[in-house]
Amino acid sequence: MSSQRDVVIVDGVRTPFVKAGSQFKDIHAADLGKDALKELIARTNLDVKLIDEVIIGNTGTPADAVNISRVIALNSGVPKEVSAYSVHRNCASALESIADGFDKIRSGTVDVVIAGGSESMSNMPLLFSKEFTDVFAKVMSAKSFPEKLQLLSQLKLAYLKPVISIVVGLTDPFCGLNMGQTAEILAREFEISREEQDKFALGSHRKAVAAMEKGLLAQEITPVFLPPKYENIIKDDIGPRKDQSMEMLAKLKPYFDKKYGSITVGNACPLTDGAAMVLMMSRERAQSIGYKPLGTMRSYAFAGIEPERMGLGPALATPLALKRAGLKLKDMGLVELNEAFAAQVIACEKAFSSKKFSKDRLNSEEATGDLNPEILNVNGGAVALGHPVGATGTRLVLTLLKEMNRRNVQFGLATLCIGGGQGGAIVVERES
Amino acid sequence: MEPSLSKENLSIITRITPNGEAIRLTAQGEIVWVEFDMPGEKANKLASPVLARLHEIIGELSKSAFKAVILISRKSSIFIAGADIEEIKGLKTPEDAQEACQLGQSIFNELENLQIPTIAAIHGACLGGGCEMVLACDYRIGTDDPATKIGLPEVNLGVIPGFGGTQRLPRLIGVQAALDIILAGKSVVGKKALSIGLIDKCVPKELLEQQALHLAQEVIKAGSKKRNKRFQSKGLGGMFLEGPLGRPIVFSQAKKMLMSKTMGHYPAPLKALEVVRKTYGSRLEKGLAIEAKGFGEVAATSVSKNLIGLFFMTEAVKKQTGVTGDVTPLDVKSCGVLGAGTMGGGIAQLAAEKEISVRLKDVNFEAIGKGLKAAIDIFGKSVKRKKMTKYEFKRKMSLISGGTNYAGFKNLDVVVEAIVEDINIKKKVLAELETQTREDAIIASNTSSLSINEMAKAMARPENFVGMHFFNPVNKMPLIEVIRGEKTSDRAAATIYALSKRMGKTPIVVKDGPGFLVNRLLMPYLNEACFTLGDGASIEFIDKTLLKFGMPMGPLHLIDEIGIDVAAKVAKILGHDLGERAAAAPLMSKVVDAKKFGKKNGTGFYFYDKSGKKLNVDHEIYKITELAKPKDPFTEEEIIFRLMFPMVNEAALCLEGGIVSTPEAVDLGMIMGTGFPPFRGGILRWADSIGVSKIVDELEMMAAKFGARFKPSAPIRSMAKTERKFYR
Repeated sequence: MSSQRDVVIVDGVRTPFVKAGSQFKDIHAADLGKDALKELIARTNLDVKLIDEVIIGNTGTPADAVNISRVIALNSGVPKEVSAYSVHRNCASALESIADGFDKIRSGTVDVVIAGGSESMSNMPLLFSKEFTDVFAKVMSAKSFPEKLQLLSQLKLAYLKPVISIVVGLTDPFCGLNMGQTAEILAREFEISREEQDKFALGSHRKAVAAMEKGLLAQEITPVFLPPKYENIIKDDIGPRKDQSMEMLAKLKPYFDKKYGSITVGNACPLTDGAAMVLMMSRERAQSIGYKPLGTMRSYAFAGIEPERMGLGPALATPLALKRAGLKLKDMGLVELNEAFAAQVIACEKAFSSKKFSKDRLNSEEATGDLNPEILNVNGGAVALGHPVGATGTRLVLTLLKEMNRRNVQFGLATLCIGGGQGGAIVVERES
Repeated sequence: MEPSLSKENLSIITRITPNGEAIRLTAQGEIVWVEFDMPGEKANKLASPVLARLHEIIGELSKSAFKAVILISRKSSIFIAGADIEEIKGLKTPEDAQEACQLGQSIFNELENLQIPTIAAIHGACLGGGCEMVLACDYRIGTDDPATKIGLPEVNLGVIPGFGGTQRLPRLIGVQAALDIILAGKSVVGKKALSIGLIDKCVPKELLEQQALHLAQEVIKAGSKKRNKRFQSKGLGGMFLEGPLGRPIVFSQAKKMLMSKTMGHYPAPLKALEVVRKTYGSRLEKGLAIEAKGFGEVAATSVSKNLIGLFFMTEAVKKQTGVTGDVTPLDVKSCGVLGAGTMGGGIAQLAAEKEISVRLKDVNFEAIGKGLKAAIDIFGKSVKRKKMTKYEFKRKMSLISGGTNYAGFKNLDVVVEAIVEDINIKKKVLAELETQTREDAIIASNTSSLSINEMAKAMARPENFVGMHFFNPVNKMPLIEVIRGEKTSDRAAATIYALSKRMGKTPIVVKDGPGFLVNRLLMPYLNEACFTLGDGASIEFIDKTLLKFGMPMGPLHLIDEIGIDVAAKVAKILGHDLGERAAAAPLMSKVVDAKKFGKKNGTGFYFYDKSGKKLNVDHEIYKITELAKPKDPFTEEEIIFRLMFPMVNEAALCLEGGIVSTPEAVDLGMIMGTGFPPFRGGILRWADSIGVSKIVDELEMMAAKFGARFKPSAPIRSMAKTERKFYR
């Protein structure tokens, strides 16, 4: 039943994912995005004149590249005539970009979209306090030197304490909890033990290490050259630990709730830098060029939940996306569920299986379905690989599609939780 | 009788400037526009008829009642490019040249003495005579556009400014700033011109007319007075150096700098300095007379003729397509480079510099990283010198990407192969490459020594294959040899010829053959330097002699730069292909055996420090090569003949064999590819100046004395017999 207006994903490329503050700390998010996009254009031998729209997710919004999509597009050789805009849906920004592309292509508005995301969590700035900014603004507009001096004398040392934007950004402005604290709520409510979480985290590392050693992840990665000498080249994700063990994980202290908590830096995803891009097209355009796409996009969905339980977002978005695709969870041959926190993934699994959850939250008598752990995050997830918030959505879709093609799986699901209390999900079908 | 300003008056002036004149007048109330617009030309030049026309116009204006004059160009990006160089070339005697100068001077004096205030509104190149003309105006407004360049490039053509430039420029901007421009033949952009006081205002180009008009109105309001702007030095240091006590220091420093830069080979900048030194502070008429005399002296020299000849050769390249047929070269937007080594990295940098996107391919990412680093280093220097903004830097670097496979190659218009110089590897890679590119893509090899025809045998589309020989270092060396194989199509050759020009290089088209042109000529020269060393000359004396001749570095130093091992390898290949006359000097392989490779490992004919700086002669060379202490039995002339005449002989063979088709190509190749002294006009111009017969005689004598390799070839012997020159 394929249609000419089907939306296909031709191919995708991402950079390695690297823990924030390490190897990529001197690379701008726009440059990470450029590295991925240039390679995508190269691998697909894409005639850049055909691109209709470039949609890039990003949450940090670098002050010198506020519409980062345009910066990435131009530096990647996308013609200046081509439109480009950035999208922000927190952790799902790079799923939002794909969803946007889907709607634009499906509606017949455009045929060729670059969608993706890029994030440098290393480069989230320190901000001056409001008090400092106020005084400084007055000083700038003061007319005489004595007046300036008088204003400057109002400065207090305490005003110089910076606001750490990444900390603020990871704190929910509605409920006042930070992301880790929301995961603690889920761990308590779904009775998920520390050991259960650590075991999941260990599994993530093991799967990621295995995938890396088999060279599976390298298939979606383009190396990044490190300035200024370009001698050091990052070719793989640096997160996965070969030597990760339950003992090492057990040693870590709870990070967010030091007294009663169970979330540690070991069973949560690290702050990460990275970028991912995909090339989307209408089926007719892809066919006319002669591409063999990775897959067709069947549906997507976003749904909301109370911010303090944001980690459950996938449990709400997934059934909606499945419904829109006319499919069930059991039809899925592979699932990528983003690992913001191990606790949150396990909570979602439990919610999928729970009739009560379905009844309370989805107004449905049936549970969404049991999620087979054998098909979940088969090449590891964000706990091992990392989670550059503005790029992960695209990474999930890319990793999923590549694996679906390796395994000859027909349907796949990628879903993730979103800070602020949302979930996003996308259903794709392999091209046969 | 002073005619009054009336409508009739204005219409008379408008009527006497029919279309088709190089200078038009357009009246606008009390203001008159003098518009330069040579019919049928891209540029405005101050050719004699134009000067005559200017004279006529000044005469008309002097009788008019206009209250302000604005001089402007109606060309899109050129104000006045300068004098007519053909005319300078035609000046045979110092007297002719002096007279031509005086004529121009007198017209610019008329302009200066015109009782109506004059405003030059400058956009685009304002050089040489154009610059001298605006110096004779009362006010100058320039645009901030990069196309606007104001300066005096005369010394580049072996002459000096002759229409008052040596007089009016120092008066306007001071001796130091003026010498900076005159001696180096430099031009400055609008902003710089403003900061040194060369112009009064620097405005956006869209506002040039408006601002000129505005200034004219102000001048009129202030009573339409003439202006006599003179330089005022700033600061104590400036005042001292510009004053009568400090000035001699400025002059002597400038002379020292010129001598060390030109080794005294270029008389024009020295003459310009002398003129400024003698005339600064004296009356204008006296100064102009000395300037004209000085111009006469240098304009008639062979140096000037040779430099002008070179100028026309490079101008001709700009107009040529590199082929005789009428083909449209491929519009190159993207370029691939195979091999990210020194050459590959350099080529990638150069392409990115010219806004061509580049895909580098090498066997591993580390190699690509090196290529990227090479590019970043070159761009980084431009940023440091403020020749490039950080935004341009980022943009250009973003044009280069790389991989270990052929990803993206289907999109490339041109791919340049710069991998290891091994014929079998090249053939294999080229055959593979061809299956990865578009069918219409041009594939070029940057080989320096391997046969294009041989490589083409491995290819399914040899018509799209051509040689593109860059010289090292790519960003600095101005020559590219475009090498045509037997099957190379016009389209392929024309594409690479055009691409070379776009990369800012001078291409010459060369037929495939051993060493192509430049290396084939250079090898006997380098080889002979080694033979000469073997015959008892010292390393220092050989190199010094050739430096004095005007080569940018001595031949033995050059071998060190190339790498003695590489030079020996090339010599061997050429010896094999060309036979006895090109057999490698045995001395070279002895040096290689002793692991002295030159600059790259710190020891060769000279020692080198870690940064690659040349140190003293490595005296071990004599021991290794079993030579006695050098006694230097040869005169400088003997050494020059020994090293140069075999090149001339080889060039005659190249012309005869159709490697290149004109003596110009040989001379361009040697000047741009080896730094053969431009003031000598090229190896063949120089040969003609000595005389082919004499060269043949000398070759015969040297053949008897040093060996058969000197035997003059058939074509050069026949030239001598028929008393033919290389240039007819």
